[in-house]
Amino acid sequence: MTFREFIRSPGSVFWTYGFPLLMVVAIGLAFQSKKPPPLPVAVVESDFAAADVAALRGNPRLEVQVVDAETGETQFRRGKILVLVSMKKGVLNIKLDETRPDTEIAKLHVDGALRVRAPGHPVQIAHETTPGWRYIDWLIPGLIGLNLLGAGMWGVGFNLVQMRVKNILRRLMVTPMHKSEFMVAFLMSRLILVVPEAAAIVAFGVYLFDVPIVGSLWTVLLLVILGAISFTGLGMVIASRARTIETVSGLMNLTMLPMWLLGGCFFDSDRFPDFVQPFVKVLPITHLNEALRCVISEGAGVADILPELGFLGAFSVIAMGLAIRCFRWT
Amino acid sequence: MTQAAIEIRGLRKVFSKGRDRVVAVDGLDLEVRRGEVFGLLGPNGAGKTTTVEICEGLQQPTEGEVIVLGLRWRGAEKSEIRQRIGVSLQDTQFFEKQTVVEILTLFRSFYETGRTVEEVVSMFSLQEKINSRTKDLSGGQRQRLAVACAMVSEPELLFLDEPTTGLDPQSRRQLWESIQGYQAGGGTVLMTTHYMEEAEHLCNRVGIVDHGKIIALDTPAGLIASMGGDHVVEAEIEGLASSLSSAEVAALPTVQEHTFAGDHLSMTVAAPHLVVPGLIDLLAAKGMSMDGLATRHTSLEDVFVKLTGRLLRDGDAE
Repeated sequence: MTFREFIRSPGSVFWTYGFPLLMVVAIGLAFQSKKPPPLPVAVVESDFAAADVAALRGNPRLEVQVVDAETGETQFRRGKILVLVSMKKGVLNIKLDETRPDTEIAKLHVDGALRVRAPGHPVQIAHETTPGWRYIDWLIPGLIGLNLLGAGMWGVGFNLVQMRVKNILRRLMVTPMHKSEFMVAFLMSRLILVVPEAAAIVAFGVYLFDVPIVGSLWTVLLLVILGAISFTGLGMVIASRARTIETVSGLMNLTMLPMWLLGGCFFDSDRFPDFVQPFVKVLPITHLNEALRCVISEGAGVADILPELGFLGAFSVIAMGLAIRCFRWT
Repeated sequence: MTQAAIEIRGLRKVFSKGRDRVVAVDGLDLEVRRGEVFGLLGPNGAGKTTTVEICEGLQQPTEGEVIVLGLRWRGAEKSEIRQRIGVSLQDTQFFEKQTVVEILTLFRSFYETGRTVEEVVSMFSLQEKINSRTKDLSGGQRQRLAVACAMVSEPELLFLDEPTTGLDPQSRRQLWESIQGYQAGGGTVLMTTHYMEEAEHLCNRVGIVDHGKIIALDTPAGLIASMGGDHVVEAEIEGLASSLSSAEVAALPTVQEHTFAGDHLSMTVAAPHLVVPGLIDLLAAKGMSMDGLATRHTSLEDVFVKLTGRLLRDGDAE
């Protein structure tokens, strides 16, 4: 019986079989490169840099750039590079965070390359793991972004379609309430729920993992609100006409999966191939995560993240406007 | 005011699904007067709900004109209609975890004017349940809440789509009283039902709907009178068709109409006390016996059977 119910709803069949296959094909196409992805590392400019760079560049697995000390630090903190090589008092210093994915492999390759540089003349190598520069510090802002996304999708899309399926929306339609009033009220109630959720993640990060919050919490709050409006609006657009739970679940997965993968939640999105980058840049979550990291880890102020704020603001307005325009009660 | 509460002219509604075209409403005309309770009566699938939902603005007509309280479903008039009507849909569902008082407060908040929540709670005898969540209500309580939500704005015009379907007799009576109270206060009601008893009890006028058209329209008493007799006599007679002729039955005193169906004889009559002895004498003369005899008042059900050749319940099989 359940089986017949299932195969007789084309929407469910597509989202169960068709959609996962499409995802496999899409991801397979994106990641079908024959060699493993390069490991980004940086060398701080110094008297010895030229030789170090040459040695490191001799290893095809490493993607090497030469930077000044400050840029190197920033890039390391943002997770753009896995290993930062510098010279301190005649000793080659390798800064890394072993909790980050791929760092161990990068470390082995860097060690090997630098030892080969001076055969017979052992190089002194120090490994430095600095607190506040760990993967968890990088991860917490991404988790905030991820939760805002999840709340916007599941909390909004699912609820709206359920109200439509149960004919509650039909009942509301015959009242004098306008659909824009309904949707703005819905958005407000979501904001009241979402802000404490983000606060809980920050609090956990601070008290459990000693994640330092360098920037202003008010700026973080501003970003959280803009992010919440963006994703709530997106959830509403997705749910604006869907008539079954299966359809809206599929549409939400279709929207969420690329954002999970490409949006810089768990690993830096710069590591995707160049042809993927335009997609990365149009996702609101990329901008949200980037801005959250700048504020939380580096103490950026509102002025420093204006482009991201602008993008999220515009996205919020467009998403909510589109949602109100497309929304159908029945 | 002489303006009708609802005017429907030449209403048609066609649903197209792929190649299938279903004509739900097929050229329906209707006028509901202010202050009356008007019932649309008919089997499921007759087009009652579609007609009502077009009046409520939930569906668009394919053709025809609908005027509600002198207004049409267009532009700014839409929100004015919505302010002035109350609606109870077929099978209303609520937010499950909200309480009765929360739901009523919510619905009250949509309207500029109306009753207080307390008033409505006592009108519908929901006092004991005001803090219960809607999922914990019985079917009767839930249906009362649905009608209460429709009345919380003190509307001029109330739409009730099968308000008592599936309710026990006591809950049904309670709802009837509330609806009659609303009418006594000057309200107009357009309701659908497939209970004859409900239509006879509540409605000032009844329209019988079949295949998307109104096939009869009058007061319940008027419709019943159109049958020619006030009473129905039914008898079970073994070997009926082979031993009694149609002419013999028609000759019995005050018989207006009669039908044979197997061993079942049904007659519409004016005076059962004259018909029954006549029938017994006739059977005795032929040496036949009677297995069952029943007399009752003519009901809307009989009107419906006569008009459509079907029982109302037949529609339920769809």
